[in-house]
Amino acid sequence: MAASVAPVADIADRGYAHPEVLVSTQWVADHLKDPNVRLVESDEDVLLYETGHIPGAVKIDWVADLNDPLTRDYIDAGRFQRLLRSKGISENTTVVLYGDKNNWWATYAFWVFKLFDVKNVRLLDGGRLRWAEEGRELVTAVPRYPEGNITISGRDDRSSRAFRDQVLEHVNHGKRLVDVRSPEEYRGERLHMPEYPNEGALRGGHVPGARSIPWGRAVNPENHTFRPASELRTIYEAENGLHRTDDVIVYCRIGERSSHTWFALTYLLGFEEVRNYDGSWTEWGNLVRAPVEKP
Amino acid sequence: MDQETRIAWLVDHSQRPRFKGSLPDADARVPGGNPGCGDIITMYVKAKPGEDRIEAVRFEGVGCTLSQAAASILAERMNKEHPTFAEVLEFSYEEMVDILGRGIATSRPQCATLALGTLKGAVKMVETNRRLRAAGHTDEEIVRVRERSGRARSGS
Repeated sequence: MAASVAPVADIADRGYAHPEVLVSTQWVADHLKDPNVRLVESDEDVLLYETGHIPGAVKIDWVADLNDPLTRDYIDAGRFQRLLRSKGISENTTVVLYGDKNNWWATYAFWVFKLFDVKNVRLLDGGRLRWAEEGRELVTAVPRYPEGNITISGRDDRSSRAFRDQVLEHVNHGKRLVDVRSPEEYRGERLHMPEYPNEGALRGGHVPGARSIPWGRAVNPENHTFRPASELRTIYEAENGLHRTDDVIVYCRIGERSSHTWFALTYLLGFEEVRNYDGSWTEWGNLVRAPVEKP
Repeated sequence: MDQETRIAWLVDHSQRPRFKGSLPDADARVPGGNPGCGDIITMYVKAKPGEDRIEAVRFEGVGCTLSQAAASILAERMNKEHPTFAEVLEFSYEEMVDILGRGIATSRPQCATLALGTLKGAVKMVETNRRLRAAGHTDEEIVRVRERSGRARSGS
């Protein structure tokens, strides 16, 4: 490690409800040759892994690997099991996810792994950017591992995933909704940029009653790691009135940024009932007669 | 081209982009963006005087490897082939995806086609500006109308 970067407090000292799901860059560096640890990079940038990745890391692409190619849904248990085994993941493997964009896609992959009830999955705090800024090694060599033996028995969407009818029910019952998009998207001022086709929503605004808490507020911009629990509590609980026992639905545009907030609320603050609405604004903003609020 | 070679080709274009930079005497300068992942491309187009044909294309931008590689590859092609405006407008998004490699580009179609969509917008702007000038409008009037309608500004 050569570069001088903003310091970061130990994960164990930040007061998280489930600190075991986060690992530091040093932890990863110490386990690069551990055969029971599999590093998995998941990025927005489809070719970023190919430009260099943490030694030994494999790639899982959220579109090509996790999404069903026909239906807007995730792959089934059989395909997910084949995917994980092809990456050398076994029952006793600790999977560590990391990626670009402050771990947007890594937390999205983490969320999908949890839909399939993968137990031993963790996230690299600070993601790829923190690793690179610390001057740690990135390589282009693509590793090959023997087929793993993990068994995936099924996918259960009930506890962590929300669908549009459940969102409508939330609206009708005045339950907690969190919109993690940018304030401009929340206010309905921006759907797309000039000279570029609309990305899929016919209406702008937000789901009625949703609080605007952009995803990035959970991250310390100086060092890209998650803020300590005390600061997260100020943002989500003191400023926005959320409570650990609330039934919360989070959403963004397609569910990737909101998986980041889902992760922070569920694992760092210990919220008991948080679901990610992956249909998000690309579904809600096109839904006939879906209620929309614009400040 | 096999997958490995294609990836190396795309990464090379992204890391050593061709025809990157502004074109001071461009006939159109059009920005394009992909709000989902933050890709930004600005296309500069200079047309051959008196012809409906590309003379030069350059671009500026930031964003993911694929979006920037696509802009470089497209600019290189335009500066080599000097196509007509009609040929640019007929250049399909599917063809662009094929050039970049279907195995890679189909998973990020918006990144893959951002440069082409922006280039088409620039060519349309050149065509429109020429028609407006032929109808007797001054360059100042054209700029004023575009600014009022919130559209990207034209070049010279």
